Amino acid sequence: MQRKPYIRSRWWEDIPVGEFHVFGSHTFSELEIIEFGERYAPEIYHTDPVAARDTLHRGLVASGWHLTATWMRLMVDYMERFARGVRDGRRNGAGMGLEDLEWFVPVRPGHTITFTYEITEKPERVVRDRWGIIRSRNEAYNQYNELVMRFNIDILAERNPGVEDGGALAE
Amino acid sequence: MSRYWSDLQPGETFATGQLTLDREAILDFAAEFDPQPYHLDNAAAEDSIFGGLCASGWQVTALMMRLLTDTLHQQGVPVMGIDSVPSLRWKAPVFVDDTLQGKVTIRGGENNSRQAGCGRTHMDITVHNQDGRPVIELNAVLLVAHGEHSDAA
Repeated sequence: MQRKPYIRSRWWEDIPVGEFHVFGSHTFSELEIIEFGERYAPEIYHTDPVAARDTLHRGLVASGWHLTATWMRLMVDYMERFARGVRDGRRNGAGMGLEDLEWFVPVRPGHTITFTYEITEKPERVVRDRWGIIRSRNEAYNQYNELVMRFNIDILAERNPGVEDGGALAE
Repeated sequence: MSRYWSDLQPGETFATGQLTLDREAILDFAAEFDPQPYHLDNAAAEDSIFGGLCASGWQVTALMMRLLTDTLHQQGVPVMGIDSVPSLRWKAPVFVDDTLQGKVTIRGGENNSRQAGCGRTHMDITVHNQDGRPVIELNAVLLVAHGEHSDAA
């Protein structure tokens, strides 16, 4: 029986458009929201549960960048589970850029956020001779099934050096 | 003195304060949010696309927000968060002991937003390192309170 290839050990050529993953869920505690706020976003509506009540947010809310950072953590953990034994840092692609990042509703202490990932496009472009681009649409939902965040991101994946590229544009 | 949403004028430009990212800060963020080899391990990082230990791109975006909001607060602007980022590019890695500073141009805005009591302000932002090299470039839409809500800040 042939074993399924691990997700992160696949070449760019072998990653299909349309692939969909649920990275998992995370419950944001009051303490975590405050800790992130104190380090990266020291606004009272991220750091002081009592004073936050008197702001337009009417209570503590998580920083939008706390959500994107948590998305990253769940993606890394998810990919690790499918990449056991792969410890080759060269295979880890960098993020190139993102588009249409939007936050729709606040995340408050105790909210559980579920992160989904769908590969939407593989632009035909070669970056630094060895990388291809995987474009994905990423969504985050709270426990009420409300969309709380959405963005599209381009992440590099290593192209198979054994495959001649079919006229792709070199950068 | 406060400067509310309607006081921010298109074409206005300003520089943020500066911030230096040490090794411990890079490792702390990576351990919590982005535990990939090139953010955690010197040898793996030297062998990676970045060529050295560097900060998570999401740490750089969070620090961009910190630089931006700290500076806006000094100007008396009641920032109530971020609405959206229409586009963002990571242009260069941020290495240990790099110093970051943002340059901001206000592009305009809308009177309303999802957040009651706030308008939207569009900004072009470039964060560069001590050599003047851009590390991220983005358009961001911030939530800024209207004047009648004096409790906002």
